[in-house]
Amino acid sequence: MKNIVALCLLLGFAQTVWAGGFAYTIRPTELKAKPFSDAETLASLPSQSKVEVLKRQASWTQVKSATFTGWVKMLSLQLESNAQNKRGDNGLRSLFNVASTGRSGSTVTTGVRGLSEEQLKNAQPDLQALQAAKRYAVSSKDAQRFAAQGKLHAQSVDYLQGIQP
Amino acid sequence: MRTNRTILLVWNELKMNTVRAEPVEAQESIHISTSSMRTDSWLKRAGSILCLLGFALPAAAFDFGSVDWKKAAETVQKVQKANADISEPQEITLGEGIASNLLGAAPLLNNPAAQQYVNRVGRWLALQTERPDLPWQFGVLDDNDVNAFSAPGGYVFITKGLLAQMHSEAELAGVLAHEISHVLRKHQLQAIKKSARTELLADLANDAIKTNGADPKFSKLVSAGTEVYARGLDKNDEYEADRMGVVIAARAGYDPYGLPAVLQTLQSLNPGDSSVALMFKTHPALADRLSLLDQEMTDQFAEQENQPDLAPRFYKALGAGKK
Repeated sequence: MKNIVALCLLLGFAQTVWAGGFAYTIRPTELKAKPFSDAETLASLPSQSKVEVLKRQASWTQVKSATFTGWVKMLSLQLESNAQNKRGDNGLRSLFNVASTGRSGSTVTTGVRGLSEEQLKNAQPDLQALQAAKRYAVSSKDAQRFAAQGKLHAQSVDYLQGIQP
Repeated sequence: MRTNRTILLVWNELKMNTVRAEPVEAQESIHISTSSMRTDSWLKRAGSILCLLGFALPAAAFDFGSVDWKKAAETVQKVQKANADISEPQEITLGEGIASNLLGAAPLLNNPAAQQYVNRVGRWLALQTERPDLPWQFGVLDDNDVNAFSAPGGYVFITKGLLAQMHSEAELAGVLAHEISHVLRKHQLQAIKKSARTELLADLANDAIKTNGADPKFSKLVSAGTEVYARGLDKNDEYEADRMGVVIAARAGYDPYGLPAVLQTLQSLNPGDSSVALMFKTHPALADRLSLLDQEMTDQFAEQENQPDLAPRFYKALGAGKK
């Protein structure tokens, strides 16, 4: 089963994982024919319009409204609650054995280990695990090679000015 | 620095036993004038001044029944020192202790390919920052909780539960860059300073703590450092890490919208689920974080719109890792 999932992923499953979820516009939003600000406007969606989410491309999300398929600014959307689950497993959960618990309640501390508030407060050091983690550290040369393989090019970008919340 | 000088000033005045402090409004406006005063009451005032300055002091230092002059002097000096930055080696040593505690709370995921992949993405991101030469170390924790952590000196951990919510390398990069930013800005150290353990941090800065593992003071400091993750960082530190994170991802050549995309996904999760309880509790509301990023990420990012998100490499690296 795990091998099948891995195979699906290798075959470009990535392109489809966004399909199936729904979202609402959180403000009046223009539905564009292409993911550009100056592209043709197909429709003006009022706030709280329900759309189907197809995929994301940088700051744009491709969506399907009742009558059109087009692009809206990603941050004009709020995904429907639990859309992630309806959208389907992205494959990694089964690979990593991530339990989809659906449990509720804020502090379930069944064992000594875990990342809940209480467990963190009582954490005991694991030096062996730290040594194990260190074995995976990579050099800057290795990282640069990895970036080149992915055709990632370093850019000069200034830090942003903060806006007071 | 001004606070430092103020303390020094206060202390010099105290030694002359001729101080009368009237803390009027805020820390910055402490007004000092001189008049004679009985010794037992000025110590009380010294305590209140220091408390006003935001330092928690152990009660023992202000045992008014039998004034321990030497100890009071030491305390003031320690607090002064705490306000100075601890050195980079000290920061790394403390971070290592905290990292080993985090690994005590949740084990490393037994997936060498995933561990190596996350280290490569993280190291490439760190090279785009003002602290490229820290001993950056990344790790995936074998835990269903949806969360990520970073510790002073360059330790960054992400849970497999959070990894399973992601769709591309750019999304992973966005989250790692957010955590890297906490390290760059020393947000955890600030949080420890604000806790009741300011003194221990001062001892570390002062080389008064042995860091070879045998000193109980070091364990206490590391525990205090780990508790920060249960309590969370300052809200504004989280917002700052968000807006630095998107820039670092963009510098590394990624689609800069990976971080907001992850935040948007997290927003759709059931907030009542225990796997998101701590992450939701220790961070500002996702709607607020997204709204700020929406306003902050303006035309500046137009040039980066077409940078890759490397979704195929993400799935390949993680999917093929487990045979």
